[in-house]
Amino acid sequence: MARFRYLGRKVAWLAITLYGVVTFNFVLFHVLPGNPVRLLARSGHLTPQAVAAITKVYGLNHPLIVQYAIYLGDLLRGQLGLSYTYREPVGTLLGQYLGNTVLLLAGATLLTIVLGVLFGVIAANRRGGRYDSLTVTTSVIGWSLPTFWTGLILVFLLGVWLHAFPIFGSQTPNAVYTSPWLRYEDIAAHLFLPTLTLVIVNIAQFVLVARASVIEVLAEDFMLTARAKGLARRRILWRHAVRNAMLPIVTSSALLVGLVVSGAIEVETVFSWPGMGLLVYNSVLNRDYPVIEGAFLVFAIVVLLVNFASDLLYQVLDPRVREA
Amino acid sequence: MLVGISRRDLLKRASLLAMAVPGLATVLDACASAVPTAKAKILRVGWTIEPDTMNPLTTYSTEAVEVLQLIYDQLMHYDLDLKPQPGLATSWTYSPDGKSITYTLRSATWHDGKPFTSADAKFTFDLIKSTKTSAYYQWVTSMVSTEAPNATTLVLHFSQPQAFNPGLAVPIIPQHIWTGMDATKIQKFVNSHPVGTGPYKFVNWIKGTSIEVERNESWWGTKPAAAKVSWTLFQNEDVMAQSLKTGSVDICPEIPPTIWRGLSSAPNLKTVSLPSFSFHHIGINVSDNPKSGGNPLLKDRNVRLALSYAVDRQQLVNVALAGLGTPGSALLPAGFGEWHLDIPESQQFNANPAKAEALLTAAGYIDRNGSGVRTSKGGKPLSFRLIAIQSTSVDVAAAQLFRNACAKVGIQLKLTLLDANSLGNTVYNAQAPNWDIFVWGWDAGVYDPDYMLGIPLCNQIGANNDVYYCNRHYDQLYNEQSVTIDHAARLALVHQAQQYYYDDAAYIIMWYQDKLQGYRTDTWQGWQPVNGGMVLNFTRDNYLKVRPA
Amino acid sequence: MVRPIITSGHVPGPDDGLVPAVAAEPAQRGQLRNVWGYVWHDRLGRVGVVAFVLVVIIAVAGPLLFPFNQAAVSSTSAGLLLPPSGQYWLGTDELGRDVFREFLAAAHVSLIVGLAATAISMILGAAIGIVAGYYGRWIDNTLMRLTDFFLVLPQIPLVIALAAFFGQSLGIIILVIGMTGWPTTARIVRSQTLSLRERQFITRVRSLGTPDSRILRVHILPNVMPLIFANTVLVIGGAILAEATLSFLGLGDPVQVSWGTMLHFAFDSGAIGRGAWWYFVPPGIGIVIVVLAFTLTGHAIDQALNPRLRGSR
Repeated sequence: MARFRYLGRKVAWLAITLYGVVTFNFVLFHVLPGNPVRLLARSGHLTPQAVAAITKVYGLNHPLIVQYAIYLGDLLRGQLGLSYTYREPVGTLLGQYLGNTVLLLAGATLLTIVLGVLFGVIAANRRGGRYDSLTVTTSVIGWSLPTFWTGLILVFLLGVWLHAFPIFGSQTPNAVYTSPWLRYEDIAAHLFLPTLTLVIVNIAQFVLVARASVIEVLAEDFMLTARAKGLARRRILWRHAVRNAMLPIVTSSALLVGLVVSGAIEVETVFSWPGMGLLVYNSVLNRDYPVIEGAFLVFAIVVLLVNFASDLLYQVLDPRVREA
Repeated sequence: MLVGISRRDLLKRASLLAMAVPGLATVLDACASAVPTAKAKILRVGWTIEPDTMNPLTTYSTEAVEVLQLIYDQLMHYDLDLKPQPGLATSWTYSPDGKSITYTLRSATWHDGKPFTSADAKFTFDLIKSTKTSAYYQWVTSMVSTEAPNATTLVLHFSQPQAFNPGLAVPIIPQHIWTGMDATKIQKFVNSHPVGTGPYKFVNWIKGTSIEVERNESWWGTKPAAAKVSWTLFQNEDVMAQSLKTGSVDICPEIPPTIWRGLSSAPNLKTVSLPSFSFHHIGINVSDNPKSGGNPLLKDRNVRLALSYAVDRQQLVNVALAGLGTPGSALLPAGFGEWHLDIPESQQFNANPAKAEALLTAAGYIDRNGSGVRTSKGGKPLSFRLIAIQSTSVDVAAAQLFRNACAKVGIQLKLTLLDANSLGNTVYNAQAPNWDIFVWGWDAGVYDPDYMLGIPLCNQIGANNDVYYCNRHYDQLYNEQSVTIDHAARLALVHQAQQYYYDDAAYIIMWYQDKLQGYRTDTWQGWQPVNGGMVLNFTRDNYLKVRPA
Repeated sequence: MVRPIITSGHVPGPDDGLVPAVAAEPAQRGQLRNVWGYVWHDRLGRVGVVAFVLVVIIAVAGPLLFPFNQAAVSSTSAGLLLPPSGQYWLGTDELGRDVFREFLAAAHVSLIVGLAATAISMILGAAIGIVAGYYGRWIDNTLMRLTDFFLVLPQIPLVIALAAFFGQSLGIIILVIGMTGWPTTARIVRSQTLSLRERQFITRVRSLGTPDSRILRVHILPNVMPLIFANTVLVIGGAILAEATLSFLGLGDPVQVSWGTMLHFAFDSGAIGRGAWWYFVPPGIGIVIVVLAFTLTGHAIDQALNPRLRGSR
C-alpha cells in the first residue's frame, strides 16, 4: 500500500514538474520580441493583408491568456504549433527529424554504457596496474573534452585528412543503392564519427562509476568470505560485484540520457546529421520560436521520464532505499 | 603507476599535427573521387539555406523561388542575357497608352495532366490582386482588371503605364488546385506537392537534406538534358565546399570568400566571381515621426556625411569580403549595368576622415571636454547605437571596422549584436523606431530598378523603408520613372533618383558583394556566367541549357 | 545540460538527500593543512594543482605581456588564415589577427566567465541546499521540486530569450550558466546538511534553544564549506565547457573573444576544411587543460575530505 502511495506521489510530482516546464516554455517564447511577421518583414513587400493573414494563422491576435489556453489545448492533442520558417506544424517537422536522432542517440548510449562498464570493471580488476591508470586518465581527459571540439578534430583527422569516413549527413547525397544492405552500410559509415564523438566524451562517467563501485564491493567483507570459500575470482566479479554496481550505473544512465540529448545538438551540428539537434540549431539561428519551444519540450519530457524511470528502477534494485 | 598528463605530451602531439599539414593539400587532391564514368544524369546543386515552403504565394525565400521557378512557368522568362523571352506567353503587346498588356498564350499541360488555359493565368493574377497577401502583390498594385477573351489570350489592364512587365515575375498557378482559397487558407496551404507547367516536376523534399525534381517529359520547351535536378542542403559552407571538391555536388551557387579562395586550385573545378544585385549598407534612422527614438543629431546631414566620409569602403571589402566585392556608392548595385549610377570617385563621400572632421567642426561639433567624442553646441555628444546581425559575419566585421573608423573622427558608436529576428523587429517598429544606425543588406527582388529604387519611398514607411526616409522630390522621381516606357528617358530618371538619394546620405552603401560560385567541369558543361549568378538568379536557363560533359 | 561532476563513484542519486550515500566527516581545525597535504602528495592531484597554477599565470600574465588588439584586422586579403611563422606564433585568423594573442585574451575571458558563473551557481546552490536540508518538510519539498525544475531547464532557449531582449553578451551567458548549474550543488549540500542535522551536537544545541540563524552560521556552514569548496572547483570546469558550447553555437558575445567564440568563427569561416589547425586546435586544447586542472584538483580535494573515497584509488 505504501508502495502505491509512494508511486502515486512520484507521478503527481512528475505531472506538476511537467506542467511547470510547459508553462515556462510558453512564457519564455511568447514574451519574446519578434514574431513571424517581423521575421518576414525584410524579405519582401509585406502587405497589411499579409500581416493580418499571418497573424490570424499563428493566433497572435488573441490576448496572451487565450493563446496560453489554446497552447495547452493543442498540446493535449499533440499539436505543437506552427513553425515560423517552414509554416508547417512543428510536430510534423520534429517527426521527420526524430528517427535520425533516435538512431544516433540509441547507438551512442548503448555503446557508452556497455563499453564504459566493461572498461571500468576490467580496470577495477587490475587496480593499480598500467591498464587501470591508462583507463582512468583517458577517461578523465575524455570528460574534459568539449563535445563539439572532439567532433571537429575527428572531422579534421579522420574525415578531411585521412579521408577514412564521411563527415556530413546520414547518407551520400544522390546515391543510388542496388540493394538495401548497401544503404545500411552507407548510413553506418556516416554514423561512425558522430557516435564515436559521443562515446569518447561520455564514457568517462561509466568507466569511473563502474570502477569505483566494483572496487568498493570487492573490498567488502562478504567478498572475502566468498574468496575464502574458493569461488573463482571472475565469477565473484561478475556475479556479485557488478550486480551491486548496478545502482549507480542506473542513475548514471539517467544522467547520460540528459547529456546525450543535449550533446546531440553539438554533434549533429558539427556532422550535419539530419536530426532534431540540427533542427534546433537551425531554428536557433533563425529564431524559429515554435520549433525551439517544441523541441525543448520534447527534450525535457524525455529527460524527466527517463529520470522518473530510473528512480523507480532504483527502488526496485535496492530494497534498502525507501523514502522516509 | 598513475600516468599524468604533461603539457609536453600535448605540445608533442600538436607538433606532429603541424608536420603533417603541409601534406594536407596534396592529400586532399588525391582524395577527390574519381570522375563518374557514366554520363551525368542528375544535376546536383549544393547550398546551405533551405527553402521555407513550396507555396509560391507565401514564400519569402530566394531558395524556394529557385526551386519553384523550375516547377512553375511564368508568362515570360529572363534568358542568359537577362532579356525577356517567351514563357507561357509566346508574345505580348502593350496598348498605345501603355496601360494594358495583351499576352498570347501557348498550349501546355499541368503536371497532373490537366490542360493549361488562359483561365489559369487570369485566375493567378486575380487571386494575387484580391488576397493581397503574396510578395507578388507589389507588381499588380495598379492592376484594375483582367480579361481572358479566349483560351489563348490574356489581357491585363492597369491604371498607369507599366515600365516593368509583371509577366516576368509572377508564377502561373493552376486554378483547379487553388480555387476557393482565401488569404488565411493560402497562408495555411503547405502545397507539399506543387503542380505547375514547368520543365521539372516535384519529386520530394526531405527536410534538412535535399529536394529533388524530375524532368517533365511533356513540357512545351526544348527538353533539358538533366533527367533530375537535386538541391542538397549542407549545414556548413566548409563541408559544402569539400563535397564540391570530392564530386558529391556539381555546382555551389553561394560560397563565402575565404572558402572560395581555397577552391581556386582544385582540379576539375572552376570558380567564378560574378557581379551581384545585392548590397550591404549602413542605415541611419532619419524618421520624422515624433515618437521615434532615433538620435535627433542624425537628422543633421553633416553628421551623416561625416559618417560616410569616415569609412574606407575598399578596406571593408578587403577585410570583410576578402577582397571579393566592389566598394558601394549608388543605390543600384554595379550588377545592374547601365542602370547603376557611376559616381566619379572624386565626388563620392568615401575614405576621407579629414573631410569628415572638417565638416563636423564647421557644423559646430567639437570635442569640448577632451573625451575624444565631439559634442553639439547644445552639449549633446555624437554617440550613437549601432546594431548588426550576429550571424552575418561580414556585417559583424564591417560593424567593428566602422566603429573604429568613426572613433578616429570623434564619433562614438556603441555596438550591439542581435539575431536577425530581433534586428528586424527593432528596425521595422514603424510606430516608434527606437534605434540609431544599423548594418544590414538588400537583395534585389527583380531584375528591374523599380524594386530597389522603391525602398526609400514615403509610402513604404511601415513596409520596406527601413530608414524611414521621406522626401517628396524623391517620390516624384520614382513615380515618373516607373511609368516611363521610353528606355533612354527612364535611364536618365533612374540616375537622377540615385544621385538625389545618395546626396541625402541616409544610406551608406558599403559594398556590392560578388556572387561567388563554383562548379565541376567534369560532370556538366555549358555553364554560362550571368550577372547575379549562373544559378540562384532571376534566370533558370543554365539549368535548361547545360549538357553532360 | 551541465555535465555532472564525477567524484570517482559518488554520482548524485535520486533520493540523495534522504540516504546520504557518502557522508563527509565534520570539519576540524587544521583540516585545511591536511587537505593540502593529501592533494599535493597525490599524483593526479599534483598534476592538477600545477596545471591550475600555470593556467592562472597564463590567463593573467598572458594578456599583459602579449596584448591582443581586436581592431588590428588585416587590410588586405593576403593576411587571412596564415600558418604559424616567426611573426605570428600561431598564425592568423580569418580577419588576419594574431591567433597567439587572441588565444591569451580568450583564456582570460573564458576563465572569468567560468568563475563568475560558478560563483552564482555555488552561492545559489549552497544557500538553497542548506535551507532545504536544515528546515526540512514542506520547505525542503518545495525547494527540491524547484531544483528538479531547474535541473531540466535547457540553457539554449534561455540564452536566446534573454539575448532577444538585451542583445547577446557575456553577462547573459554567465547568468544562464549560473542559473542552470546550481541544482546539482544544491542536492549535494542538502544531503550533507541533512546528515549534519541529525548529529548529536546539533540536536543538543537545538534543544538548548539556540536560534536557527546562529546554528546555521556557527555549526552548519563551517562544516559544509569544505564540501562546497571541493564542489566549486569541479563546477568551474563544467561552467567553462558550457560557455565554450554556447559560444560555439553562436550564442556568445561575438565582440568578445573567448575560446568558444574562436572555435565558432573557425567553424564558420571554413578553417577546418582549409586545414587551419592553428586556429581551431589551440582553443580546444586550452579548454581541455583548464578543465582537467580544475577537475583533477577538485577530485583530489574531494578525496582528501572524504577518506572513504580514497579507498577507490
